[in-house]
Amino acid sequence: MPTATSSIIRFRALTPAVLAGSAVLALSLAACGGTAAPGVPTASGGAGAAPASNGAAQVAISVERVNGTDQCVPSFTSAAAGPVTFTITNKDASGISEVELLSEKRILGERENVIPGLKPVTFTLTLAGGSYQIYCPGAGTETVPFTVTGGSSTAAAGGTADLLKEGTDGYAKYVSGQVESLVTAVAALKVAVDSGDVEASQKAYAAARPFFERIEPVAESFPDLDPALDLRVADVEPGTPWTGFHPLEKDLFTAKTITADTKALAAGIVTNIAKLKTLTDGLNYQPEELANGASGLLEEVQSAKITGEEEAYSKLDLVDFVANIEGSQQAFEYLKPALTKIDPDLTTQISAQFDTVNTAMESYKDANALGGYKSYTDELKQSDAAKLTGLIQALQAPLAKIAEKVATV
Amino acid sequence: MSAQDRHESPDSAPPRPVGGVSRRRFLGGAGTATAATAGGFVLGAGGVLAATATTASGEDTSPAALLTRGEAANDLLSYPYYGEHQGGIATPPQNHLVFTSFDVRATSAVELQLVLAKWSAAMAEMTAGRPVGKVEPTREHGIPVDTGEVFDTGPQGLTLTLGFGPSLFDGRFGLEKFKPLNFDDLPAMAGESLNPAYTGGDLCIQACANDPQVAYHAVRNLARMARTQVSTKWTVLGFGRASAGPAQKTPRNLLGFKDGTRNVSTPDDFAQHVWTGKEAGQPWMEGGTYLVARKIHMLIETWDEDTIGDQQSIFGRTKQEGAPLSGKLEHDVPNFHATEGNDPLIPADAHMSLVAHENNGGTKVLRRSYNFTDGLDSVGRLDAGLMFLCFQKDPEQFVKLQRKLGLSDRLNEYIRHVGSAVFAVPAGLPEAGNYYGKEFFR
Repeated sequence: MPTATSSIIRFRALTPAVLAGSAVLALSLAACGGTAAPGVPTASGGAGAAPASNGAAQVAISVERVNGTDQCVPSFTSAAAGPVTFTITNKDASGISEVELLSEKRILGERENVIPGLKPVTFTLTLAGGSYQIYCPGAGTETVPFTVTGGSSTAAAGGTADLLKEGTDGYAKYVSGQVESLVTAVAALKVAVDSGDVEASQKAYAAARPFFERIEPVAESFPDLDPALDLRVADVEPGTPWTGFHPLEKDLFTAKTITADTKALAAGIVTNIAKLKTLTDGLNYQPEELANGASGLLEEVQSAKITGEEEAYSKLDLVDFVANIEGSQQAFEYLKPALTKIDPDLTTQISAQFDTVNTAMESYKDANALGGYKSYTDELKQSDAAKLTGLIQALQAPLAKIAEKVATV
Repeated sequence: MSAQDRHESPDSAPPRPVGGVSRRRFLGGAGTATAATAGGFVLGAGGVLAATATTASGEDTSPAALLTRGEAANDLLSYPYYGEHQGGIATPPQNHLVFTSFDVRATSAVELQLVLAKWSAAMAEMTAGRPVGKVEPTREHGIPVDTGEVFDTGPQGLTLTLGFGPSLFDGRFGLEKFKPLNFDDLPAMAGESLNPAYTGGDLCIQACANDPQVAYHAVRNLARMARTQVSTKWTVLGFGRASAGPAQKTPRNLLGFKDGTRNVSTPDDFAQHVWTGKEAGQPWMEGGTYLVARKIHMLIETWDEDTIGDQQSIFGRTKQEGAPLSGKLEHDVPNFHATEGNDPLIPADAHMSLVAHENNGGTKVLRRSYNFTDGLDSVGRLDAGLMFLCFQKDPEQFVKLQRKLGLSDRLNEYIRHVGSAVFAVPAGLPEAGNYYGKEFFR
């Protein structure tokens, strides 16, 4: 739910994908112009290129304290083009917990949880000739240049960039599908309201809400449209009209009467959803927008649904809750093929947490309830809110990290 | 004679009459403990109140000078993280506490291992006054790793003490064989009003620092980095220390009495009463200890209307000086046989009598408690009391003392034990590259 003051626009730059795609490809193909690092730690750097075994050049990175400073010390700082395996061991550097391989600022591969005392971790990338950087956040020397010699291999070109492009294209289609369904659903809502049938209108309201909640971050990116559609009464500036879903919700679920004003509200929703369709048609998205949107939906769940603020009159918060989760998971799924290449552990962890949340939400299903989920009564909130918060926090913590990994800038 | 039995009697303290229950010989206790504070970092109220401008040695003790010195000292005060024992046990109690108990929601040993390794490294960083990761990531889409609220406060004497609850060894992670001998939840005892919301936990962190925000930041960031695997169960914020360490002035609990006067303080006492040896049957506990945490709600308003005579006989000590009712000065050794007429000077059911080692076969525990407040309770009373924390080589030491207190302590009229937990506190980490619980995951 947007508030008057916190209409956080996560989908900041809705730029055409063609630009983004080409920029990504250029970076990955050329991988050029590495920034000069202030200096490689003293103990590093075997002479020559890393030797190959198991079909990949082998580079060991020792994370350790060198003269009182945490450092990343690679065994070799160059390799021939092709597959390169990085094996990372944190000996005793408590200030470093992750190691990344960058091309410019783009993360090609990384491992988190590089912790003193744990077993070595590895990642393998297929690299084309060019300049790369080993990035160790928290090290005395955070960036160590890494050079790949030889030609560009087609495999290197952009596995990840291509996958991200496919993902953002897929997500654009998903948004279009949701908006189209929303157009139909609010048209049905208007028909029901115009007929004066409160019960039918309540059902139509419950049926329309999920389409909006699944793509809420997209709607939120249009600063005029979203407040017109989804503002709650506490966030209405005095003197301005309160429009959109929630005054309609109040009429249908609290007053349980349909007046001329109620009908005007329903008509306004139809108009504004039509605008949303126009604005979103043909839009393309950046990978980081999907990622931030996925995390933003979980923020919505925590700040408006679990608190019961979103659907204060209809108590349909759990319906919205599940729709937010679905929308979040969809965005994640479109990033997943690329993310699996960049950080497989994190990807697995996020998938597992989505499973946990989805399983937990099964128990709230109620075929007889409006929207198919239990009414989020004060009693249910009292008994379950803390548990739901824990569930969502456990998912959002890893999910929030992916924007940085898939970002195109 | 052990340190705690020393008659530390500063020149300025006038002699007190035996059992000076109703006499008020001087206005405040502020000037009475300078010997005990020398060399400590306790430059607070006592010093400021007592000071004119300089001491006999010419030291500038004006408030401005003390404030500057205190802040600088805390900015730099950093206790070593690696060593034979964990910090926050023998460490002179810092001014503030955040105690948090956690449940592990992860279901695999690998996830638990990751949490313990991450925590161990992060604890090392924070103890040294460093953030746990970037406060301001270089990339726009980066999420700050450290939450940042103590970025430039310095270590503030932070110690972080990790404990394992009995439930951690229940089989979820295959750790049954690492469970210390005779390590279980504390038995039910008389006089308890435990609230399930403040009991138990798979893991605990005791964070102590001279800046409360530093302690809070530490627990917040540990909880955050393990949020997917671990959930916070209960937490208590202690705003003031209520136990003395060696060479510290004895602080007071919220009932107004000095607390921890006869605390464990010498290396011999630590060896005999606090550090666990082979009796736990687990190498990882050799050099460790057991932490008992009891959240004790004090019925402050009714206590405040009790007479001084009753208050002093409940504790067995005078209120201002903290002297045993058989003596004159705080550190006078209590004489439980001293009588006035037919009555013992120190009542047999006084709090001090019940827990004194003389009356318990020599049993002692290291107390490291903090005063807490949670605002108001549901019936409109001050919700405050003592977060009683004690360390001992065997939880049975606490149980033995508490059984007596629960049955007979006259203080029970004014206190309620509402929270309870016991944790096995592993030995310290010898050096970087290790983590707590490493032995469990071979």
